[in-house]
Amino acid sequence: MTNITPDSLSGIIFALEGVARATVLLNGPTGCKFYHSAVSDSQTLGRGGLDPLLFPDLWHFGQPRVPCTYLGGRDYVYGSREKLAAALPCLSRQADTDLLCVVNSPGAALIGDDLRAAAEAALPDAPCVTIETPGFSENIFAGYDSAAQALIRQLDCPAQALRPATVNLLGLSVFQRNYRGDLAEMKRLLALCGVEMICALFAGSGLSEIRAMPAAALNIVLQPEYGLAAARLLEEKYGTPYIVRDGPPVGFAATEELMSAVCARLGGDAAAFREESERARARAYSHIARVHALSGLPKGAKFGLEGTYSELYAYTKFLTGYFGMIPESVSVFCPERSEYKAKYTALLDGLGAAAVLNRGLFEAEAELIFASGGSIAALKLRKREFVGVEIALPTLGYIDVLPKANYGVNGALRLTEQVLNGLLF
Amino acid sequence: MNKNKIAVYGKGGIGKSTVSANLAAALAETGVRVLQIGCDPKRDSTRLLTGGRRITTVLDYTRVTGHAERRIEDVLFRGRLGVGCVEAGGPKPGVGCAGRGIISAFELLERFGAEADYDAVIYDVLGDVVCGGFAVPIRREYANMIYIVTSGEFMALYAANNILSGIRNYDGDKRRVAGLIFNRRGLEGEDGRVARFAAAVRLPVCAAIPRSGAFARCEAENKTLLEAGYAPAGIFRKLARAINAGVSLYEALPLTEEELEGAVLGLSAPPTAAGILAADAAETDKTRSPGRKDDPGGEMLSLNILNDDPLHGCAFNGAVTMGVHLTDAVVLAHSPRSCAYISYQTISSSGRRGLFERGLLLPNSVSPNLECSFMNENDMIFGGLDKLEAKVLELKKKKPKAIIVVSSCPSGIIGDDVSRVLRHADAGTPVIAVKTDGNLTGDYLQGMLNLYTALARGVIERNVEAIPDAVNIVFEKVVAKNTGANFSVIEGFLRRLGLKVNCRFLCETTFDRLRNFLAAPLNLLASNDYTGRLLQKFFTAEYGCVFLQDGFPVGFDETKTWLFRVADFFGRRAAAADLLREHEAGYRRRMEALRPALQGRKLMIVTYNHNVDWILKAAMDAGMEIVKLGILKFSQDAGFVTKLGTGLNVEENYDGNKREADMRQYGPDVLLTNYNSTDEPASVLTDTIPMCPDVGFYSGLNMVSRWAALLENNLRGEWMDDKRLFDKYYA
Repeated sequence: MTNITPDSLSGIIFALEGVARATVLLNGPTGCKFYHSAVSDSQTLGRGGLDPLLFPDLWHFGQPRVPCTYLGGRDYVYGSREKLAAALPCLSRQADTDLLCVVNSPGAALIGDDLRAAAEAALPDAPCVTIETPGFSENIFAGYDSAAQALIRQLDCPAQALRPATVNLLGLSVFQRNYRGDLAEMKRLLALCGVEMICALFAGSGLSEIRAMPAAALNIVLQPEYGLAAARLLEEKYGTPYIVRDGPPVGFAATEELMSAVCARLGGDAAAFREESERARARAYSHIARVHALSGLPKGAKFGLEGTYSELYAYTKFLTGYFGMIPESVSVFCPERSEYKAKYTALLDGLGAAAVLNRGLFEAEAELIFASGGSIAALKLRKREFVGVEIALPTLGYIDVLPKANYGVNGALRLTEQVLNGLLF
Repeated sequence: MNKNKIAVYGKGGIGKSTVSANLAAALAETGVRVLQIGCDPKRDSTRLLTGGRRITTVLDYTRVTGHAERRIEDVLFRGRLGVGCVEAGGPKPGVGCAGRGIISAFELLERFGAEADYDAVIYDVLGDVVCGGFAVPIRREYANMIYIVTSGEFMALYAANNILSGIRNYDGDKRRVAGLIFNRRGLEGEDGRVARFAAAVRLPVCAAIPRSGAFARCEAENKTLLEAGYAPAGIFRKLARAINAGVSLYEALPLTEEELEGAVLGLSAPPTAAGILAADAAETDKTRSPGRKDDPGGEMLSLNILNDDPLHGCAFNGAVTMGVHLTDAVVLAHSPRSCAYISYQTISSSGRRGLFERGLLLPNSVSPNLECSFMNENDMIFGGLDKLEAKVLELKKKKPKAIIVVSSCPSGIIGDDVSRVLRHADAGTPVIAVKTDGNLTGDYLQGMLNLYTALARGVIERNVEAIPDAVNIVFEKVVAKNTGANFSVIEGFLRRLGLKVNCRFLCETTFDRLRNFLAAPLNLLASNDYTGRLLQKFFTAEYGCVFLQDGFPVGFDETKTWLFRVADFFGRRAAAADLLREHEAGYRRRMEALRPALQGRKLMIVTYNHNVDWILKAAMDAGMEIVKLGILKFSQDAGFVTKLGTGLNVEENYDGNKREADMRQYGPDVLLTNYNSTDEPASVLTDTIPMCPDVGFYSGLNMVSRWAALLENNLRGEWMDDKRLFDKYYA
């Protein structure tokens, strides 16, 4: 849609903001921190207080998250060392901080301050992750990868025994529309299979869970663009094998296949999970059958889709395979991450819909559009008549008190609900 | 064996590259596998090892080679005696940022694992440690041993001392300096100066290189001394043997300027830079005529800058956010993706919520006309103006009414001069450059001011035909939720007076309306806070504009006054009187109905708002008692104002920590703040005072009506009691 898509700095900050009880100090001006603090806060459960007076220190600027060193012109000349030396010990002493992360803004990255040395000098005994190059115009996934590399390489994980039937979840981010619901759903389904989750990297697990990651028997990559690099690094560093599919577990079939594969690798028992999935399918069937009886829908309904290649693959497979819907238009988010392009192209070819890749959302007339709130709003502005289903940030503004899922069995049910309510019948 | 990683520093032209290359060759002769990395944009560090061949630099390579295609063998060359040769490279003089280049080159070499196959690495670093980028090689993860090359010249010793200061900044009292390498220039007394300096900084002179024609001959032949067989080669062989055997390392102990100049250089009266460090003001040059003050924005400076407070937001974002309100122009951010993305999201969040909550479609908020030059790592190093100009030319093909270029921190730091794009302006597409340089010129409000003045000067026509029944609206708060609703109210009032809006400066307006700004005889300030008043001053001084003295009216009395003032200007008092009659009786009647619930109730306000007369007046009209007014410091306004007399208990620059004590002392029934808290006692009704209140007759009345309903029904909300549960399960 717009070419001003999420950036690498955001990828870094949102990744590290997903570590529980971590404080992400932005070594940069306040202008780079307000947005990230607001999004992080809205995506997590906070205490609710937004009064700037609750955050009176020099670094938070009235916001609950992402403190910053408020660099200005003088600091670009003389360096940020003094401000870092002042901020780091104070932030480290905050009661809810187990891990400090320091990230340069694009401007700060040009002056070459040694963040690692500053952190070691200020906090000789505290764990601290530093990232000096924020990626300038690179994409959000590059930033997320940088954060994963920095976290895994810079934190010491003690040697530990492998724990059977345990996994880490990779490829989640607080910048995903429903990451809390997706995490809860994946934990629930794994538990049904007798598999325990040790750590959800960048999605709510804290320092102790991150340090326990090497004990997991398997790493599961949910969204490859986010999690694959971390999985490869963990395999290289700790020998942990990983499992990754062509897209995230969207829909019944993809979830069933993933959970079966996990159980096969770990010796889990998928019986309870299978029953859960069957019951959900049965419930969905009842609702879909009614709509179908009156209209023949959802079969044949046209949909538009926005996402990375792996997301496009996963959603297209579910919407076409399960509902019998027809792909009509596509906008590729971050097309330079093309690892999964071939798979997606093959899927479209198999559907006889190869032309869809050349038809952006703005050019088409789909009934249902699965996209970010930003793209849905932009299409509404163009007077398009459709129902938008938010599957990515930014949101239009709906506040989810009850966490929703995109992934897993509950995700499939939620998407079924959205499809049925979005059809004109 | 630990790998020797040797950084060679020294003043520019002192012979570092010659020393590095000869040392590399000497080490290689002993069987050590050596990698030499030149860290100078001149890219000539390894020339003596490559037979004069200029090799591809890392930065030139990454500039034209995508990530996936990059290979170490394309930038790592095999020199004489098998010495690995790498040149970091850098931008042409005067553009980009060479220091950032060194950072980027080292990051890439690290990713390549370039040092893995070598036993020793020599970093030959440009001149002085002028910035963090050139200090990268002395970071601990790179060099573990540092030699400083110096001669006996004053400037070389100054540079050596500065380098020690740089190392001290990184290392503290850790030991990493191997010593000095004395490259003689044949000057009188230089041996003594270097010896005194070495003694003062407690470093050994590890090698003393005589002045010899052999070096010049080697330069001409593109050979090292060792290869050419000249006598001084023995010095490097000896140094290499010492390194192989293990050298002692020392902490960096730089001298103060006085110590260096007095004890070492023998200068009796240290020279002082006139006008900069002179303690005696009489020494400054009084013969010059008075110069300009440091006043980057003329008199248009934000409060943040005037008060020298930490900058709140950045000028880039302020300028971009306002610029997109010229709806048929395009704003081009000269920035990395990060800056443009943050601004885009900041602007569009209110548009998305407007659509979601009320079905409103505000084009410039939902889909702002913002483009970006997407400065990448290469642009940071080599400069981004070529890319910016290419983007301007690309945008011109789409024929926008104007192109507004706004600069970011990175472009400012590397020195990109965005005014270069002005040469692409023509009658069809004006190009306006707004040099905000991120936050280098100031905070968010400063960016707004920079944009406002640049657009006014670049677009407004001085000779336009007057539109007698029109007004301009100046300085609406475009990011407030009620901007559109407030405009509708004001527009409705104006319509009743037979008036229309010519230009909204700067909110959802067009290039032509802005160009025609001076057609309206009267200007209405939407917000008469500090920034609004600055704009009023600007338009009055620069264009002779006439302003109504009030901002948009909030509350009954203000609205009444405002209406008559506007009406009087245009000679339409009767229309205003009609309008007032329609509202006054209803207002009084509704207010009277609230008195039973609110009479005698105590109101305490703690707020960032510096004008709250509208709510004070409504509370007073309802019979409430104002017990305390705490005015917090706010970066966007300067000083509390009221027309309600001096009887109020007002405390300006209020300390928020006093609130609890004041609550106990004054016992309010209603506490009004900008941000509600759930910590207040159940007996107190808490409510939020908006930063940008609704305009019109009923703003205050609507708020006190809410209080009356809540107090009458004693409704607080049970959910507030569950804070303890949140603390129990989630905190």
